[in-house]
Amino acid sequence: MTKDDLQKLYKSKILPENEHPYHFQEIKSFDFQIEAYNPMCGDKYWLFFEQHGNQISNVFFHGFGCALSKASLSLLCKSLEGMPHKDAIELSRQFVQCLTTDLNFEFKKESLNTLAELKHFEGRVDCIKLGWEAVCNHFENYEN
Amino acid sequence: MVFIFKKHINKNNIKNVRTHFPIFKSQPNLVYLDSAATNQRPQSIVAAQSHFELYENANIHRGVYDLSNKSSQKFEKSRSIIAAFLGSENSETVAFTQGTTAAINIVARSYLEPRLKSGDNIVTTVMEHHANFIPWQMLCKKYGIELRVVPIDQNGDLDMMQLKEFIDHHTQLVAVTHISNTLGTINPIADIIAIAHAKEVPVLIDAAQSISHFDISIEHLDYDFLVFSGHKMFGPFGIGILQVAEKHIQQMLPLHYGGGMIKQVTIENTQFRDFPYNLDAGTPNISGVIGISAAAVFIDALGKKNMRQHLEELTYYALDVLAQIPELTIVGTPKKQAGIISFNAKNIHPHDVASFLNKDGIALRAGMHCTQPLLAQMGLQATARISFSVYNTKEEIDLLALSLRELIKFWS
Repeated sequence: MTKDDLQKLYKSKILPENEHPYHFQEIKSFDFQIEAYNPMCGDKYWLFFEQHGNQISNVFFHGFGCALSKASLSLLCKSLEGMPHKDAIELSRQFVQCLTTDLNFEFKKESLNTLAELKHFEGRVDCIKLGWEAVCNHFENYEN
Repeated sequence: MVFIFKKHINKNNIKNVRTHFPIFKSQPNLVYLDSAATNQRPQSIVAAQSHFELYENANIHRGVYDLSNKSSQKFEKSRSIIAAFLGSENSETVAFTQGTTAAINIVARSYLEPRLKSGDNIVTTVMEHHANFIPWQMLCKKYGIELRVVPIDQNGDLDMMQLKEFIDHHTQLVAVTHISNTLGTINPIADIIAIAHAKEVPVLIDAAQSISHFDISIEHLDYDFLVFSGHKMFGPFGIGILQVAEKHIQQMLPLHYGGGMIKQVTIENTQFRDFPYNLDAGTPNISGVIGISAAAVFIDALGKKNMRQHLEELTYYALDVLAQIPELTIVGTPKKQAGIISFNAKNIHPHDVASFLNKDGIALRAGMHCTQPLLAQMGLQATARISFSVYNTKEEIDLLALSLRELIKFWS
């Protein structure tokens, strides 16, 4: 990725999501919460889930991290809302796989496809997958 | 090996210094500002290692043939070189380890653990690298004793009054870094050693960030334990040094068991060699040992005084240049600082800073730098960190400032 590419990506996708993140607030009442923490860099967020039965109704998040992790979490919140648990797990797994393996998936949200294409962004995949991986880990532990 | 140093490093001869580092020939636009993580390697040190590997390779202490004898001699000569580098004529004060972390853990388990008892305490500081913090924390938890953590003041200097109060006759060890790997603070280790020794408490000095440019001598500083890594003094990864004062040598117990560190083995029992050989279970990192001794020779040829002066000039120049960018906050303003500066840019996470500067060929580190207690005390989650070595120039700092200004403008 050239410097121009990086600037274009940040200007068009990352910075708007970073500056105006979706549901970026700490809420007191929720059905369950998930910690997304990268001990290597210090990025740390809490995700707050509201649900009706097995359907996720709202996702909020709050914490500290880089523009990429925050933008990615903002998209995560938008993406998972309205999904049954199993779909949220499947989407999260696919997104993490997209970033960490040679597998490719076509996501309905174009912004997710853009993020997933950053798998070769030097040293920053951990930032992008932080929240998604936390969701996967949570549900895997929950399921087990 | 031919060296051309022993003179003040300045803008006229810095190019000459850089020629010893092939990476700058292959990547002439690289602005490497991450020497606190690892130094770049001079040709002579890599050559010393590869010469051994290619033309002199044999295992040590296990053969009577010439090649093995020469290898053993070279290995032990390296120990003598390191001892002399540290102001000692006694090579048996020097043990080879896997690095600073391993050396600290050896002191924790081989020296300290067997002597701990209820009511004891260990004194360390909040600015330590995790490597010089967690081993003591774990020992304290295991034996139910107190870990006393000296805080810093608002400038990033150690609270020396608190340190003095913390050290008492129940303190079993004071473990402190010479230079903070996050703030660049130079700690007054001579004073700390004097305070501790007044109460007969031994002191471990983590010299990982200072060994290449500070005169560190057991004769003058009178520390009890000194630890550092090869790769932060132009040497190879995976090798480090633990120097132990003569008065403690008998108390250094074996840690790993195996060949090479024994006097006699019977079915019923084993007798071990004395320190430092009782730590050499199995085949050691022989080429690493040769590499770290070559690094000591390189540093001596360069002159620590020259290098320290160069780093101080770069540090204060960078502090001046960065202070002129209003969106930046320098993290810590200690009384004495060398080679390392942390900063944060308004509204831009350090990882984003590092990613963008990377596109301009500038390599710096972002994150917590393995100092989470320090950042927690300062109310920070992460910093961007620049660190210098002998090959850095003021022009590189100007490029850094230019790149930061461009990023800040882009981000706004």
